[in-house]
Amino acid sequence: MSLLDIFMIAVRVAFSAFIPLCFIAVCVWMERRGAGFFQDRAGPNRAAIYGFRAAGLVQNAADGIKLFFKEDMISDHIKHKFFFVMAPFIVFFCAIISFAVVPFADTLVLGGRGYVMQGIPMDIGILWFLAVTGFSVYGIILAGWSSANKFGLLGSLRSAAQVISYEIPMGLALVSMLIVYGTVNLSEMAQYQGQLLFGFIPMWGAFLQPVSLMIFVIAAFAECNRTPFDLAEGESELVAGFHVEYSAMKFAVFFMGEYVAMFASSAIIITLFFGGYQIPFLNTQALITFAKPVAFFMMIGLPIGMYYFAGWIRRNNVSHYPRENDPRVTEANVYIKCFWGLVVIIELLLIGILICQSGGSAAHVFVALLQICTFLVKVTMMIFVYIWVRWTLPRFRYDQLQKLGWQMLLPLALLNIFITSAVVIALS
Amino acid sequence: MFAEVLFIAFAALSILGAIGLILFRHPMKGAMSLIVTMISLAGLYALLSAELIFVLQLIVYAGAIMSLIIFIIMFLNIQDNDLPIEEGRYLYLAGGIAVIIPIACFMIKVVKSIPAHQATIVGNGFGGVKEVGLVLFQDWLLPFEIVSLLLLVALIGAVVLAGKRRLLK
Amino acid sequence: MGAKVKTMERRGSTFIERIYLVEIFKGMARTLSHLLRNLKDNSKLYVRHYPEVQPEIPAGWRGRHRLTTHDDGTVKCVACFMCQTNCPADCISIEAGERHDDKAEKMPVSFNINLLECIYCGYCVEACPLDAIRMDTGIFSLTDNNRQAFIIGLDELLTTPGAYPEEDQKKGGA
Ligand code: SF4
Ligand code: SF4
Repeated sequence: MSLLDIFMIAVRVAFSAFIPLCFIAVCVWMERRGAGFFQDRAGPNRAAIYGFRAAGLVQNAADGIKLFFKEDMISDHIKHKFFFVMAPFIVFFCAIISFAVVPFADTLVLGGRGYVMQGIPMDIGILWFLAVTGFSVYGIILAGWSSANKFGLLGSLRSAAQVISYEIPMGLALVSMLIVYGTVNLSEMAQYQGQLLFGFIPMWGAFLQPVSLMIFVIAAFAECNRTPFDLAEGESELVAGFHVEYSAMKFAVFFMGEYVAMFASSAIIITLFFGGYQIPFLNTQALITFAKPVAFFMMIGLPIGMYYFAGWIRRNNVSHYPRENDPRVTEANVYIKCFWGLVVIIELLLIGILICQSGGSAAHVFVALLQICTFLVKVTMMIFVYIWVRWTLPRFRYDQLQKLGWQMLLPLALLNIFITSAVVIALS
Repeated sequence: MFAEVLFIAFAALSILGAIGLILFRHPMKGAMSLIVTMISLAGLYALLSAELIFVLQLIVYAGAIMSLIIFIIMFLNIQDNDLPIEEGRYLYLAGGIAVIIPIACFMIKVVKSIPAHQATIVGNGFGGVKEVGLVLFQDWLLPFEIVSLLLLVALIGAVVLAGKRRLLK
Repeated sequence: MGAKVKTMERRGSTFIERIYLVEIFKGMARTLSHLLRNLKDNSKLYVRHYPEVQPEIPAGWRGRHRLTTHDDGTVKCVACFMCQTNCPADCISIEAGERHDDKAEKMPVSFNINLLECIYCGYCVEACPLDAIRMDTGIFSLTDNNRQAFIIGLDELLTTPGAYPEEDQKKGGA
């Protein structure tokens, strides 16, 4: 094993462990500010360090510190303390390792050796995801049950029944995807989606299997216990559902687990249906050949984009009431300078790409980075959809939820499998 | 070397889980230990590079079946004082062990008499999804279908039996 | 029949609406349009930048209490206990004493209102025969670190000025 090998392993493991954690902050921030803007209010924007609010991101830090230093209570009526403490960690851990099989860039070829960009390179890919998300039910069941609390028990009953029954349409929707792709390996699926359909549409799962996409997304929402399927928490009926008895850091772990699960399932949806790390119309091979033109266009595009972004910051980061020497204007100026600095750094890197020899390892690394960025942008967009749906739709009633799962999605998924296999056989 | 350490760890965990299943009084604890056993068994399959069985063990046994069992235990919400008092359970345990020891000795002997082979990985892609699928649906198609028919019969039988009881009421 | 009857159109029975998906997308488009509008220009948010921008409190609004005075600055209250008797929250406690300045026979020696118990119903104001207690200070936000600070006494009640001119009071102040 050379030094490079060890480095690449460290990179990919670190990526798949830390990116979900970093995205907790992004998700929470997007959720709160997004919720605010959807509802024509501002969302948390006051917490500041020396007047710098970072668009409300500082609030996350404040909340984190608060939860960390809160009293961690386990009330006396809880008999099974071990399970009680273990439950949030099961949920969190399952959520993190379910992301481990998602490829975030195409195989990186350096010095004649390929490096898979996946936390755990595994052939079984999507099956691993199914297995691990199934485990998070244990956390929910144990939490509700060991709380010895009516609301907790009811919440975890609902949640467990929901997760178990939506796993079936999810699995069936997957089966038709597997028929199309002919593999369970997520990397191969992403590579498959780099092709073009009829020569002009990217061959994404979403275009090949729209029904499957619908079913999978609905089931994924249900698996994450997010609105419109958040009956497990149902504040108005169940107080907080399975985590009523949890406080401080244990609650925070549940909370973070929920967001990591959201991130992981967005990543899976992206990989299955929206081409994973693939940039539409530019597959890995094309990108490596055209590394220089791509870099050149990015060099032109970045400052232009940044110019408009700076204008947007300047317009919106002001106090909307008469105030002399508005500190928010200086704040905005600092942000803009930081972003310009970032742009300059990226430009320098791009110049580096331009003067390097084409098709070399610099181009390969550049392409990998580009694909990682694409992947993260796509995942962020999917997370945004989650948030968007949450702040648009009301909650289902429980019988409606089960009816939807068993009477609509299940037959639809089965029908989809039959049609898909018929078409695939007819075409081959 | 690494694989050996893993093997020992998984083997120990699976045996510990099994012991826990027997010794714990509370059904939830028993079920959780059974999950430990199931997952370590999956680990053992993975060490044999039988990928498909590894995930199936995780999805079906450790995932679906155990979550149903735990779901039921939670549903019944059994408290410690609902459990029957088991007198002399250690006596029964000792009796059970006494019965099993000769059989176990016999089994160990049988295993030892199997001609020793160097453990090697069988064939290319052994245990992968594709290979198992090919074998299952080409060589063993008829037995596979018969088994699935049997399961279907069992399923319908269960539904019928459950329905009958409701009618009688 | 004077009442106007408005018949609401019943929704949700057509096939498209029963599929539910189309309606979901419509709803999502609606919320997205709000998000985009606010992202483009966040001065359009329907928010007041409290505490920098204070809300406008109309004269009829029931704020913290005060006791009114005669023109010469002496307390109007005659300690008749009407307000205390009427208070549904039982949060006024008055101690009466003798008064020697010919304005009345009695006056409050102490007049305590527990603002944590008060439900701001305004019955005390209605009950007062002398217009001696009013809730027109315009103070709506009360914060402190200990409970004792919320029991306000005679001094505080007398020194807080009313926030509105007398004409507004006539039109219907608290
Ligand atoms: S406003 Fe109502 S509750 Fe408050 S002191 Fe007056 S009568 Fe009592
Ligand atoms: S405030 Fe009015 S009602 Fe209350 S004691 Fe004084 S005079 Fe009587």
